[in-house]
Parts: sequence; C-alpha cells; structure tokens
Amino acid sequence: MARDIVVGSNARCAALICAVKTFISDYKCPKTKEIRSHLNIALKPCFTYLSQCRMMCVSMENFIKHIKLQITKSSPDLTESEAREELLEACEDFFKENIYLAGKSITEKAVNRIVNGDTILIFKKSQLILHILLEAKAQNKEFKVVVVDSRPDLSGVSSCERLTAAGIPCSYVYINSSTYIMKKVTKVMLAADALLANGYVLGPVGTAMMGLIANTYNKPVIVCCETYKFCERVQTDSILYNELADPDSMLKTLNAEESPVAGWRESPNTRLVNLVYDTTPPALVSIVITEIAELPCSSAPVVLRRGAVKM
Amino acid sequence: GINAEYGEAVVSTQSTGSFKNHEMDPFLLKKIPKDTVSRLEEFALYLRESKKERRSYVSVVKTVNVFRDLICTADWVTARELIKIIKCYCKYLPLSQSNETDVSNVVRRILKIIREENAGPEATNLADGISAFFKSDMKPSNLGRSDLQDNILNSIVELLVELDTSKSNIINMALEHIHSNERILTYGHSNTIRDFLLHGRRARDFEVIVCESGPSLQGHRMAAELSAGGIKTTVIADSAAFAIIHAVNKVIIGTHTIMADGALRAANGVHQLAMAAKYFSVPVIVCAALYKLSPTHLCSYDPDAFNKVIGPENMLSFSNAKLHSKVLISNPDFDYVPSDLIELFITNTGGHAPSYLYRIISELYHPDDYDLDNMCVETVDDEL
Repeated sequence: MARDIVVGSNARCAALICAVKTFISDYKCPKTKEIRSHLNIALKPCFTYLSQCRMMCVSMENFIKHIKLQITKSSPDLTESEAREELLEACEDFFKENIYLAGKSITEKAVNRIVNGDTILIFKKSQLILHILLEAKAQNKEFKVVVVDSRPDLSGVSSCERLTAAGIPCSYVYINSSTYIMKKVTKVMLAADALLANGYVLGPVGTAMMGLIANTYNKPVIVCCETYKFCERVQTDSILYNELADPDSMLKTLNAEESPVAGWRESPNTRLVNLVYDTTPPALVSIVITEIAELPCSSAPVVLRRGAVKM
Repeated sequence: GINAEYGEAVVSTQSTGSFKNHEMDPFLLKKIPKDTVSRLEEFALYLRESKKERRSYVSVVKTVNVFRDLICTADWVTARELIKIIKCYCKYLPLSQSNETDVSNVVRRILKIIREENAGPEATNLADGISAFFKSDMKPSNLGRSDLQDNILNSIVELLVELDTSKSNIINMALEHIHSNERILTYGHSNTIRDFLLHGRRARDFEVIVCESGPSLQGHRMAAELSAGGIKTTVIADSAAFAIIHAVNKVIIGTHTIMADGALRAANGVHQLAMAAKYFSVPVIVCAALYKLSPTHLCSYDPDAFNKVIGPENMLSFSNAKLHSKVLISNPDFDYVPSDLIELFITNTGGHAPSYLYRIISELYHPDDYDLDNMCVETVDDEL
C-alpha cells in the first residue's frame, strides 16, 4: 500500500481482510492461552507495522475494530479450530455485507438517479462510482461523463480508459478547468473515503473544490458511501487530520523537462506538500447514497448510532 | 478526437478583424513609406507568433515604438487622418487573438493622446458633461502637422515613462498590504507578483503558498524564484487549494487582462481559487498595471466564445494515443473571474475597488476607440 499498488478505500480494506484471514488461518494459539485474548495481542504488531507503512484509512480502521470485537466476543467453549472458522466467517461476512452487497445496493439506487441525456461529472477514480456508471450503461442509459483529474496521481486517466472501453462518451479535464465545463454538466457524483460524525465528507483532495463549484452552478452533488465507512471522528477542516503523500511525486511532469523545484530538498526555503484527503462541508452535498437509505449528510450520527446498537 | 466542438473552440469568435488578409490595405500602403511598411509587417509577425512566455511589458513597449514610428513617417495632415491610418493598421494586426489585449490597450491610449492633443488645451473631459465631451473632439486643430506631431510625441514619451515605472509603482505598495507572519496564497507564475512579494520580503517575514497551476506547472517556477529570494515557500497541488485556504490570510494574484467591469481574464484555475477564497472570506487582491485594463466586457457566458483552448500534451501524454482518439480533452488557457470575487486591485496608480474601474477607463480611453475594428473616427462620422 505504501507504493500505491493497492489504492482506494474499498480495495485497501479488502486487501486487509484477505491478509487478516491468512493470518488467522496460519495462527496457532499457544497451549496456555485462550484464543480470544491472545489473538488480539498477536494481531497488534501486524497492524502497527501496516500503519507505519502507510497511514490506515477509515475503512481499514473500522474493519480492525470489528474484528477485534469479534475475537473478544468469541465463546470460550469453542475449540481452537472452531473459533478460527468462526472468525474467518466473520471476516468473510464483513466483506460480503459491507463491501460487496452494500456496493450492489448503492449501485441500484444510484443508477435510478441517472437519466438519459445526463452529463455526469466524476472526480478521479473510484471503484464504486465506475461500477455505478458501467451498470447504468449496461441498462442502456444514454449519458456522457466528464472526468475531472488532478495532479500528482492523475488517476482519472484510468477512469477514462474503463469508461471508453465500455463505450461511454468521455471528456477529460484537469481540476483547474472545472469552472469551464461545469455549465454543461447535469450531475456531480463523488465518492467518499469516510463520512464524519458531523456530516463532513472525507474524500480525495479536490472533492471539496468540486462540491463548491457544483453548488455555485447549482448542480446536484451526489456522494456514494457505504455505511461501514462512517466514522466517529469530527473535523471542521482538512488540515488537522490528513495524510501526506510522497512530495517527490509532485515533480513528475509529462514533458521531459525537469521541474524548477526539483532540488527542493537542498533549499531551506522550499517545501512540497502533497495532501491526500480533504473534507467537504455538508452544506455543499445534496445527498449521500448508502446501502440502507439515501440520506442527507446530517444523518451520519444516526447511522453510527444504529450501527453501534446493532453490534 | 477532433470533433466539431473542439475545432470550433480554437477559432476565436471575438471580433471580426481577423488576420485573414496578409496584405496591407492599399489605402495604408499609399500613406506610409516603404521602410516603415517593412517595420510594421515585422511587428505584425512578432504578434502572430504569440508565445506564451512573452512578457506583456516587452510587447507593450514594442507597440509604442512601432506606432511612434508610424506617426512620424506616415502621410497625414489632420488628426482625423492619422487616426484613420492607425485604425487601418490595427485591422492588419492579429489583435483578435486573446493574447493581445495589452497591445490593443496601448493603441487605445495612443489614440486618446492624439485626440487630446488635437483638442488642445481647452479640451473638455467627461467630468464636464457627456455632450460637451463628444462634441469638442475632432475639430481640426489650429496647430499644423509638425506642432501637433511634437505634442503627440511628447505625450507618448510620458506614456513610455508611465509604462516603465508601472511595475515599480505596484511593488512599492507591497509593505502596505503584507504584514509580518502572514500566509499568502498565490497562483501560478507572475513577474509582477514575484517582484511584489520579494519587495515585501525586504522588510517583513512571511510565508507564501504557491498553487502549482497545472497543466503548465508555472507555479513551480514561481516557487523556485521566491525561495531563491529568501521567502519560505510551499508548493501545493491546485486541488488542495480549498483544503488550505481557510488557513491563509490573503490571496494575491496577477492577471492577464482586467475587463471593464472589474472581472478578470486570468490563468486557468484562478476562478475556482477565487470561489474558495470567497467561501472562507479570504480577500483576493489582484496586482496588475493599467495597460492590462481593457474596456471590453464579457461578450458571452459561453466559454468557447471567451476562452482559448490549447493543446493537451501537458495533460495527457500523446503516447496514450488510444485514449486521445476516444476522449475529448479540454485544456482552456484562460479563466473568467467575475468582479464580485475580487476585493482589491493594486495598479500603478494605487489601490482601487473593482467598482471604480469604470472611471479609470473613461480617463484612459476614448469611447470611439473601445472597438478597434470600428473604422469610424467619431461617432458622427459620415466620411466612410
């Protein structure tokens, strides 16, 4: 994950689930200890190592919380192999319910909102949003997509590739030109990495800007987010809790010329800051589509409480 | 692929004086001696090869020199004839390309100088009443050609001095607008802003955050220049502007053109930056010399009529040919920023609110020159 081979909140969580499953299958409980107390202790250094490689995203943290709870709750009467089976099943169920089926449910609801003749704006690459658009195309809806991309990772290019492969007409602009194309857009669909308890949407940096511009031009902003990504944290700005990605990736240019700040490490006055996330205020979001319902952003704490009660 | 929409956007629909005819008007050729003609053609060629990095100050000084040459060597007796010759030459120049607003503005200044010198010392100005202003204009002056020419050339020398000192006037105001320990956000590259901030650094300690301004990445060059001058600089991606702007004290930007109502035609991406600043109530200050102030308004909200689209090789490498053939890639060069997003203009004549610019326009330019394609010298002109 540190080398950006696995990107995206769902993908990283799925990868974590696989890794934890492998760990649990290989795990052998020492004779004198109980699985439910020892397994947590055994998993802890693994999670610490992962968070040192790259800061954990909210989806991963929520899975870890869930699996720790399952481990503590497991009945002491079970044998080691039965307990292991139960935990593996718990991992599977988490993936199936919260990522796979939730994705399908959200797709169904979101596709209903796409009508013929729409021009939909998406921001960079999101597995969920692409899934929604491909499903809408499979249902023979006629629509166009505008892909807004931003540096330094330029993941919107692969969005374009997936969409054109499916036969959806695409436009591609950088985020600087978003006011140029916003007039022709009918809807904006954004993906979230998390939804905070005060209604702020945590997404890839630039999401907030898209929300602001869409609002100014009176275009609806639809955020798609699974409920497992809802998080207890509250934040009002994007700086207090954020991740800094590799600053040298900002130096990559498409023409072969070197950037004038390439020697930034030697210069005491220059700094490159490559933010990963930003928070979008709830006033800029029209609706959040989750697998349980289509909600306003302010309903985030209600969903969180419902999730806590369920457990 | 190049579909109709993309192809149309490349052709500017701004004005009718397009660079179709590569031959000078025969009327013009009659009035101008041969060696001047070659210099005029050279200037037109210089404008046609519009390079993005050409400094507007350099173009503007060149323009003044070329027109001074034209005034001295052309065959004219009255000011009316001279204005006709100048406007005829303007039709030949590729002024309709959106890069050339500073050249057009300087031509308008020269025309205003000619009209003022012609009207003589009893010239009325707009303050004395609109009808008086229009009536007194193009009466044949009692001055002969040589006297009129001398007066005009003296005024042009003053204009050159003004252009020369415009940047230093702007940067001397830096200390009034930057205080210690401030965080200033700027966008892309601007010579004026760079010198403005470096001047401020001499007395105050502050930080600057520079937006990269993709896809040209001019912000990197700005950051290198600012940090070489001793200012702590941070480079961020344009998408991060909304994330950090609440922590910034002010936004100071340059522009390509200032439009008549105080709106801007600025680098691509400035509009969204100004919108984010407005959301968090961060003031946006624009530093620009008055030769960038153009008496034109936005002709249409249609982005294709206002903007210029350039090649996308900086956005998506051409090696990804498969994608290039299937996807419509837009790389507009400019951005329209409405005047309500701007707090203050710092110009060589001082600081002005956007609402005051109409007054400055009335002092700098004559209404008959707002549209340089309009060949009439006066509004009541029947001669054509």
